[in-house]
Amino acid sequence: MKNLFLVSALFMFVFAFAACGRNEDAPPQQSSENLILSPDNPVEISMLIVTNQVEPAPNNRMAALMAERLGVTINYEIVTPEMQAERLSVLIAGGGVGLPDILATTEIEPRLTEAGAKLRLDDFLDSGRWPNIYEHIAPYRRRLSWTGGDASPGFYTIPNYNRFYGDPPILGGTHFGSGFFIQKRVLEWHDFPDLTDMTLERYFQLIEEFLIANPYTPEGLPHIGFTFPAFPGREWGMTNPPMFLAGHPNNGGVLVHDGIATIYADTEYSRRYFQFLNEMFNRNSEFPGHVVLVDPEAATQSQDMYFANIASGRVLGMHDQRWGFSTPHDSLIAAGQFDRTFVATMPTFDGRAPWYADRDVLNIHQGFAISSTVSQERAELLLTFIDTILSEEWQILLSWGEEGIDYHVGADGIFYRTPQQRLDYDNTTWQQNNRLMAFFDTMPKRQGTLSCGNAFAPGDQPLEFMESLSDYHRWFLEQYNKYTWRDFVNDPPPNPVYYPAWQISVGAGTPANIASSELEAAALIHLPQIIMAGPHDFDALWAAYVEHIGRIDVAAFENAMTAGIQERIALWGQ
Amino acid sequence: MIKSLEGKQKTRKKPLRLEPIIFHTINYILLAVLCIVMLYPMLNQLAISFNDGLDAVRGGIRIFPRVPTLENYRVVFATHTMFNAFLMSVYRTIVTVVLNIVITSMLAYVLSRPEFVFRKFITIVFVLTMYFDPGLIPNFILIQSLGLMNSFHVYWIPNLIAAFNLIIIRTYIRGIPESFIESARLDGAGDFRIYWQVIMPLCKPTLATIALFVAVGSWNAWFDNFLFNAARQDLSVLQFELMRLLAAATGVGAAGQGQAGQAAAAGLGVAQVSPLTIRAAVTIVAAVPILCVYPFLQRYFVHGVQLGGVKG
Amino acid sequence: MQRTLLLMSIPFLLYRLLFSYVPLIGWAIAFQDFRPRIGVTPLQSLRTNEFIGLDNFRVLLDTDTVLGARFVQSIINTFGQALLTQIVGFICAIVLSLMLNEVRQNGIKKVIQNILYLPHFLSWVIVASLASVALALPASGGIINEFLLWTRIISEPIHFLANPSYFWGIVAGTHLWRNLGWNTIIYLAAMTAVDPSLYEAASIDGASRYRKMWHITLSSIKPTIVILMIMNVGWLLTSGFEIQWFLGHGVNIPRSENIDIFIFRYGIQMGNFGLATASGILRTGISITLLSIVNFIAGRLGSEKLF
Repeated sequence: MKNLFLVSALFMFVFAFAACGRNEDAPPQQSSENLILSPDNPVEISMLIVTNQVEPAPNNRMAALMAERLGVTINYEIVTPEMQAERLSVLIAGGGVGLPDILATTEIEPRLTEAGAKLRLDDFLDSGRWPNIYEHIAPYRRRLSWTGGDASPGFYTIPNYNRFYGDPPILGGTHFGSGFFIQKRVLEWHDFPDLTDMTLERYFQLIEEFLIANPYTPEGLPHIGFTFPAFPGREWGMTNPPMFLAGHPNNGGVLVHDGIATIYADTEYSRRYFQFLNEMFNRNSEFPGHVVLVDPEAATQSQDMYFANIASGRVLGMHDQRWGFSTPHDSLIAAGQFDRTFVATMPTFDGRAPWYADRDVLNIHQGFAISSTVSQERAELLLTFIDTILSEEWQILLSWGEEGIDYHVGADGIFYRTPQQRLDYDNTTWQQNNRLMAFFDTMPKRQGTLSCGNAFAPGDQPLEFMESLSDYHRWFLEQYNKYTWRDFVNDPPPNPVYYPAWQISVGAGTPANIASSELEAAALIHLPQIIMAGPHDFDALWAAYVEHIGRIDVAAFENAMTAGIQERIALWGQ
Repeated sequence: MIKSLEGKQKTRKKPLRLEPIIFHTINYILLAVLCIVMLYPMLNQLAISFNDGLDAVRGGIRIFPRVPTLENYRVVFATHTMFNAFLMSVYRTIVTVVLNIVITSMLAYVLSRPEFVFRKFITIVFVLTMYFDPGLIPNFILIQSLGLMNSFHVYWIPNLIAAFNLIIIRTYIRGIPESFIESARLDGAGDFRIYWQVIMPLCKPTLATIALFVAVGSWNAWFDNFLFNAARQDLSVLQFELMRLLAAATGVGAAGQGQAGQAAAAGLGVAQVSPLTIRAAVTIVAAVPILCVYPFLQRYFVHGVQLGGVKG
Repeated sequence: MQRTLLLMSIPFLLYRLLFSYVPLIGWAIAFQDFRPRIGVTPLQSLRTNEFIGLDNFRVLLDTDTVLGARFVQSIINTFGQALLTQIVGFICAIVLSLMLNEVRQNGIKKVIQNILYLPHFLSWVIVASLASVALALPASGGIINEFLLWTRIISEPIHFLANPSYFWGIVAGTHLWRNLGWNTIIYLAAMTAVDPSLYEAASIDGASRYRKMWHITLSSIKPTIVILMIMNVGWLLTSGFEIQWFLGHGVNIPRSENIDIFIFRYGIQMGNFGLATASGILRTGISITLLSIVNFIAGRLGSEKLF
């Protein structure tokens, strides 16, 4: 009977493990009635953060400071933006198992709110016990309040970016938005041509002439005249240009006239742009070897390849948003190849006024939210923590760092950094040990001007911006009689009330949502073929694309967008 | 038939002596080419992983690094998440392999006994599972309902017995002469003792092979981690971390029109080690341990795998 | 005696039933309007959801809609990818086994085998990553294009990932690369079981090398081949995940998206559980049907049978 015993023991063992798995469902949450954050009362806060940044190193200086002064230790779950749709779905499907204390997401489709994962904060904030948070959202309360179905209307998410303080707020010198970017070396070779009233023809002419004279980089790599990102999540690198060429601001997949949204994918603007791109593509054969005017791999390249090409200095121009290629931009800077970095140009059709740059838009449904599964006491504690983080003391600590170590204060009270401090600040390894990058990315920020007169971020401080420019860049700016990179783009008019329409959620799983994803899929399938079509195939391929769009329930999408715009106008219009 | 063949052979007597040389030469050349095809991608990654990040981005690295550095490996092992994930991968692999071997071989023995009445029924139940997949969502709900989410156990409990391995071991056991079992039975051994003391030791070659199958599967798994344990960084396995690097690099997934927000974020961070070289380093780290296990088990291979009918 | 055997097997039978058959309850989702919510476990919502009948199946099989057309295409893609992978894999593995079997120097044979087995140890995540580099244009380090250009097999680089028609081949190729060596193991094992005296007898009879390969070696592994073939039929609706996931860009989606990706995209990414479960049911149904048919035919032809 020994064998019998063994078998049953083995079986018990299997299920004993299964059973204790159950106990590990959620890490036990510390209950804390005391609302004062202090090292005598240590708390652990779990966070789910959607970001490209990495978790801090175990012995991170800022994390230690947080534990030392507030008694707070943060347990991270970092989700990259590419993975968030899957991750959030799984989290919701699990019914809330393992929901952390704070949800710091950058979701556009407010899936968590709709599924009831977030705690409604109105009553908490109206109590006045958390003045910093209250001040942060008060002017924009209506705009930030959730009004969709499935979750009760109200305020859920404390926004992370573009809530500006100060009048006027200090803005940085870099334009991070859209543009047809062109390598500085190309402009230098053309002896700094005028960039105003740009057209698509002239943009490509500048690149083509340079390319004919210089098919290869100084290192011998073949140049790529023009490329764009189109990998998942960045499809708009390929699809957005017709909107800008038509003189519209970035509303995502639609043009908005008098509060009515219509898609532009099948319009004359689109046709004109892609036909032109197709013509340019067909000139590739005029260049030797692997030298190309329009990158044949643009639509299929991964982010890695895209970055690698830009960082190698091969790429002369692209349509993108400036933040989208920060990584290779910084490698170029680190390698001292300042003339291989880019400036934005803004081509339009028919002499329309460009509206590439817009006024920075307050994020909604993005930032810190408190999980609906926490207790009342826990929620209050978490709000106290966020309120503390929103104090200027902690904002400076998390953005600039510690005085004397990460920056210095001049006699006039102006913050400044030594060259070494500047280098450290941009060094990823240093960041892991000394800054809380992931936390910082999603936390609410007092952007603009701090009460002491300094800018919120070191990069925005005017003096810091000028100091950090290389000699080449200073010289380059002088040639154009400009002071910052922002000066190259249009002066943005005030945003329409509803702007930007791409922020509007049409609701997961609705016909509008399905139509929207089908439109995107159609663009991804057809546009690359259209761009790379032979000279005589364009019309047939374009007709196939338009036919495909015709089979999609476009009206559902347009009506939902229009409804969203109208709702915003009605609610925020006053 | 043989006669006519002989006739043919005789008329071609001369080329016959040359034939083996030609055959073997061509055979070796083809095999050598194949070996290069199999090795090159890994050697290429190895070279890139030892190359400077900024330089690697320029491309053109073959099987030797151009600007050698250990920096990428230093970065990989300095991130404690990677080191922890490495340990977790080792741990899950060992647990899964040990339990698989014991349980699968025991069941295989039972199913090899012709006198066992439920032999056929149980075999079919198992074989069907090779094809009868309830699907992603129902499986997800089961794991969630059993409370296996966010726990280490989800790595091994659902993966205890694979039908394919069961068949292979059973086929092997059937090849063992019945006399071994009969003499043990005469000595008074019950079925369990026969399995444990007679069959298990005799099955060493096939068990070594199965151990490797299971180890490879377990080491390389990432989907269970992603689906069930993504919330627990401490339970992250190496392949999942690699997948995250890859997903970030290729931008797989639907991020939607996420255009704002990141704008300002972009101004705040700079990556100096290129993702290309880091990814190569992680690839090597994820591949080497399992490659090291292999030589120890390799000698059992040829005798270890025989596939008989699944029929009971 | 039966009792011990029962005790040694029943717990695992129960285990298998729990993990492979109990989840079938979840198939009910396919007939429901399933909306996951925080605070409601899936089991609870399974009990309380509204039943909507066959709506999900209707949507999937209605090829007039973009969604239905996409689903049907995903089935075609899975089938095409799997069939190509299996045919190419089968033939190459058998040929390679024969080649290896002819290598007489044991030391060299071991070395070659070990190198050929190597890719099998790499995860699909790694293989997908290697493939994406290898398939790029030469200017981006695409070694395959470089090789084809160098040997003058092509004069213009091929844009593998931007042209949907290559995708099934890419799936078959990556599977071949990873599993070719490994798949020879099972055949080589069968070949060693051949009685050497058979070869000797054939040699004395003057049989050529190729004749011996055909009549003795190949026929010795015939049962293995037949069983593997039948087994693989059941996997004709499984063509992997990672390759399609990491290399499936927009342009090639008409050929790259297989059922697994479809289910993942609609179920996990977009959160439409009903649709995803319904797709899974259709897939399992087709697989089992295919397998039964082939098994039946095999039985009729008097060859090895699976069941």
